[in-house]
Amino acid sequence: MASGNTFFNHSLIVDADLCQGCTACVRTCPTGAIRIRDGKAVMNDNKCVDCGECIKICPHKAIHVRQDDFSLIDNYKYRVCLVPATFIAQFDTKYRTRKIYSCLKKLGFTHIYEVEHEMETVIKLYKQYMEAHPDIHTFISPYCPAVIRLIQVKFPSLVENIIRVRAPFELASRSIIKTLVDEGAAREDIGVFYITPCAAKIAAFRSPVSGKETCITGVINMDFLYNKVQLMLHDSDKDALQPPVNHSLTSRDVLWPLAGGETVNFKGYQYAVDGLQNVINFLERLEDEAIDAEGLVEMRICDQGCVGGALTVQDRFVARKRLEYRAGVFNRLRRKGEHRQFTDDPEFFRWVSKEMEIPEIKPRSIYKLNDDYAEAFKMAERMKKIEKALPGVNCAACGAPSCAALAEDVVRGDASIDTCIFINPDSDSSKEAFRRIWGNRTKTNKTDE
Amino acid sequence: MHYTFKIERGNFTDAGQASSSVKRTLKQLGVDPANIKRTVVALFEAEINAVAHAYGGTIDVDIDGEKIVMVVADEGPGIPNLDLAMQEGWSTASPQVREMGYGAGMGLPNIKKNTDELKIDTKVGVGTTVTMTVKLA
Repeated sequence: MASGNTFFNHSLIVDADLCQGCTACVRTCPTGAIRIRDGKAVMNDNKCVDCGECIKICPHKAIHVRQDDFSLIDNYKYRVCLVPATFIAQFDTKYRTRKIYSCLKKLGFTHIYEVEHEMETVIKLYKQYMEAHPDIHTFISPYCPAVIRLIQVKFPSLVENIIRVRAPFELASRSIIKTLVDEGAAREDIGVFYITPCAAKIAAFRSPVSGKETCITGVINMDFLYNKVQLMLHDSDKDALQPPVNHSLTSRDVLWPLAGGETVNFKGYQYAVDGLQNVINFLERLEDEAIDAEGLVEMRICDQGCVGGALTVQDRFVARKRLEYRAGVFNRLRRKGEHRQFTDDPEFFRWVSKEMEIPEIKPRSIYKLNDDYAEAFKMAERMKKIEKALPGVNCAACGAPSCAALAEDVVRGDASIDTCIFINPDSDSSKEAFRRIWGNRTKTNKTDE
Repeated sequence: MHYTFKIERGNFTDAGQASSSVKRTLKQLGVDPANIKRTVVALFEAEINAVAHAYGGTIDVDIDGEKIVMVVADEGPGIPNLDLAMQEGWSTASPQVREMGYGAGMGLPNIKKNTDELKIDTKVGVGTTVTMTVKLA
């Protein structure tokens, strides 16, 4: 159902063999991007924001996140694994982080790099941006890529409120590449692989909102690597524990992916909003100026933040507790001087500021019915009429999430009003429309009993 | 296109439904985000004014090719001194209303700032009709 040019490169795929066309995803999608066609879920690439809600709700596990083939890492001499703190949160705290990193090395990586080790720099970048834009009243954190896309398609007037700084994994990948090249490695020999907790971060690297090039070579789904590492943790092999290249995580770094993890670093009146519906409600009211939020608004599509990502394995509340526990451990180690100290190099910061800048975030409204105002006006009027004629029960039997969505599909020419079972169920055109939506699954009244 | 909404005294929780629904239509029409924002902010302010001060009323919104006209009509105490009410910071809102974060005296001045035309007909003891126009071109 890709209509015209697609803005985004998505990572979500529907497995047609597993999909039952049950409409669970259709109803849950926050941007109304999914329809049932030929009995299967079909996604509209321009509307999808990669929030991953469809993966979480699908009862048949039919929606997957496309990942890069793991053997891809063998193409590189230097195989860097970028590990987010959310990955560590998946494992029992009885395993030291070094033990987990050792398992990753045994799987084939040559270097382990912690994504959040330079949050101090990211915070500095946020503050620099906020100071450079005194005219902006409310700043929205750019951390969750699904939030950025949600704003682009649903709240276009708020794009100017997003802090234009790229994601922390972009900083981490640049830092490790710089380190390795400085040590004499050839750039083309370095492959950087990020373990992702969600679909949005993959999409963010496949088609970055910045339009700038990414330094990430490939992405590996968190659940996939979790299974591999968990198996190895169980065996009693006592290899020397491997530290990561950058051994410097602090409690603030580790807590960053959790809901509230950003705002604690900023003074004043800050807001931390997590969970899809909460984010939508907040943005809606922010747009109406019904909420007067001055300062930083942290927003995470997933409840509890990244530990609630669709590709995580552990219960989000357990994962949160584990990260909080590890944050305490890291702080003690740091006090004992076991961790690398920060270097405050102004030249490095200048370089980072440039690399991490997002030049522009474009609004991409999904609501607009037509580029021509007069035409859009006619369509909106027709839509209102059609909506009145529809039953309003939002049964989704037409393959659209609601009667309003069907009305919109009809005026856009993507569906016929005959697909509504309440309108004229026995007409031939209705039967034909139904066959198109649901395939051949019509049941007769007789049963075998 | 025409929309009608009801206003209930003291019902702050449901306030904003009119502006949300108008906002959706304006987005469908592809109206410039800056104009959408002006419209929605003005409408929400006017609605809150009526919820806080009046006994009840109606909102009528008309959208055509050139403009959006919003009429918020209430039955209420009216505005005894319109010049004062138009001043920033002037408010007769009750302490309860202020506790909810409203009543800062920015309502009417904010509406004026966000609209192209503003007409206020008010009669003490009878009610107030606020007519706001946002031009699209």
